[in-house]
Amino acid sequence: MENRSSDKGDMDGEDFPDEFQCCVCLDIMYKPVVLACGHISCFWCVFKAMDTWQESHCPVCRNPYNHFPRICTLMHFLLLKLYPSAYKRREKQVAEEEKGYGHASPQFEDNLLKSQSSEVLDVRDPSPLPKAVPLNSNNTCSGDTFPGEDNITTTNDTNSTVEYKDTNGNCREVLLTDLQCAVCKQLLCRPLVLNCGHVYCEACINNPQDSVCKCPVCQSSHPNGFPNVCLVLEHFLEEHFPEEYSARKESLANIQRGTPSGSSIEKQDQTACSSDLRNVHSSSRSDLGQVHFGVGCDYCGMCPIIGKRYKCKDCVEQIGFDLCEECHNSSSKLPGRFNQQHTQDHQFSEEPPPCLRNLILSLEADYSEDHELSIVDSDNPEVVLRVPDLSNDVSEDERETVASPDSADEDAVFSAALSNNLSEDQGR
Amino acid sequence: MVDFARVQKELQECNRDFGVSGIKVIPKNEANLTQLLGTIPGPLGTPYEGGTFNIDINLPDGYPFEPPKMKFATKVWHPNISSQSGAICLDILKDQWSPALTLKTALLSVQALLSAPEPDDPQDAVVAQQYLREYQTYVGTARYWTEAFAKASSLNVEEKVQKLVEMGFPEALVRSALESVGGDENLALEKLCSG
Repeated sequence: MENRSSDKGDMDGEDFPDEFQCCVCLDIMYKPVVLACGHISCFWCVFKAMDTWQESHCPVCRNPYNHFPRICTLMHFLLLKLYPSAYKRREKQVAEEEKGYGHASPQFEDNLLKSQSSEVLDVRDPSPLPKAVPLNSNNTCSGDTFPGEDNITTTNDTNSTVEYKDTNGNCREVLLTDLQCAVCKQLLCRPLVLNCGHVYCEACINNPQDSVCKCPVCQSSHPNGFPNVCLVLEHFLEEHFPEEYSARKESLANIQRGTPSGSSIEKQDQTACSSDLRNVHSSSRSDLGQVHFGVGCDYCGMCPIIGKRYKCKDCVEQIGFDLCEECHNSSSKLPGRFNQQHTQDHQFSEEPPPCLRNLILSLEADYSEDHELSIVDSDNPEVVLRVPDLSNDVSEDERETVASPDSADEDAVFSAALSNNLSEDQGR
Repeated sequence: MVDFARVQKELQECNRDFGVSGIKVIPKNEANLTQLLGTIPGPLGTPYEGGTFNIDINLPDGYPFEPPKMKFATKVWHPNISSQSGAICLDILKDQWSPALTLKTALLSVQALLSAPEPDDPQDAVVAQQYLREYQTYVGTARYWTEAFAKASSLNVEEKVQKLVEMGFPEALVRSALESVGGDENLALEKLCSG
């Protein structure tokens, strides 16, 4: 911890702009995750800021969400290229922290010598993507080959690149092909990032009115309504590919003028879509019996899982490997969220939701005696029940969830806890 | 575990624009970054103008995923701040906290609370009652408390009282006169003379 202040020298050596600063850790975003509202944080920062008991909210705009999105690999490699030393510093630091957690964030191959874009974006359909110029870092271009005024040169052909020199005079190129939409095969325009971490132009994603939108590459659905444009990424495109980007915007505007049912209607649909989803979620939320507190789905990222939960019986990692009903029934073969060694031949079993009674009893076990209320059973005065004093004892989060059903439910739960206790005591 | 790297950065950033914001955060003890002392200037155009308010900051283990614990170390007369303990009633320090907020933004919110009291959601019922029923008295008391506790010259209040008592005015009268004029010695004298 302390050595980070002395690391300051390095950080000054490679300063990153404020827009790439994570709002939570105030460092450069590491393994960026883009929320549906378009705001970005580090993988671990989003994870730690999430509420595993109920709906989470974006740290910046408080937009509610229920799914932990996957890392945006496009931005991951972009940041790695742009600010290699700051990014590597974070990599080391996070790897150190992960040793303490016992589970890790997803790993990516550091294949800077290959072009990532074709791999990252074009999983299903590799043929039509124009091959990017192989990226040779560290030795292809030295400072004197590109005597650019402020370390940035832009050329104007299809393989337009932006070059950055880090302090050692090494060049890293950002190619247009690194910032391509997998659908239209052109430079991203008004980019948005789906729950699966893939990036597309706003215009390239269907926004079906009656269901959720799906990722064209991995087919996973994007559950939080139609996502917002990721403004940080858009601003980067605008700034670094000004001509190409304005050309793209222009051509898209022309297309939209052709179809008068353009964006205004779409906008309405968007809000309708997201509010519908929210209603669905809040109604299912009222059924607390189906909420798996503190457990997330490893495919779609729903956290907490609502509905049926399937737990992998063979994964040994402490964090486990769980799926929601929809993902369990789908045929997707995605890796887990925390680098679990899950394979297709692992077996799942359906896990019942934690019963509120058990929750209360497990809470009870944690409390010391002086926080307990003693209740004497009128029928059998010798049996003294010990019940945790929920009103003072339970921490705020827990209390919210435990106490959220209306009072009648609460009474029912409470009496259930009592009767359970009673039978236990009598059994002795 | 508190994210100390972030706290370090926050401190640097906050103290860098001290010139603009007037807000300062310093560790009470260099070795322990969880115990901090924040300082905010009283907002202009309020009874707190001219005062410098110290706020005790205690970072919980979960910071920045849990809100920092803040309370006024300087006594202050405000409907949403306990006149006894300095406890602050402010949503962003409780359930509305977000990890994107910082110590500086939280202190800015506390400063904003000073200029916009919420008497309908009080922390100190006595102050809130006074605010709603006798607004002028509230302003006078708040100003007097600012004068008495939140200024470098606060120590001199007792001296002022002493001085005026020596002129022959009863102490109780002197104190209430000082309080009603916000601690200004000359105005208090005028008031005492005019009866």
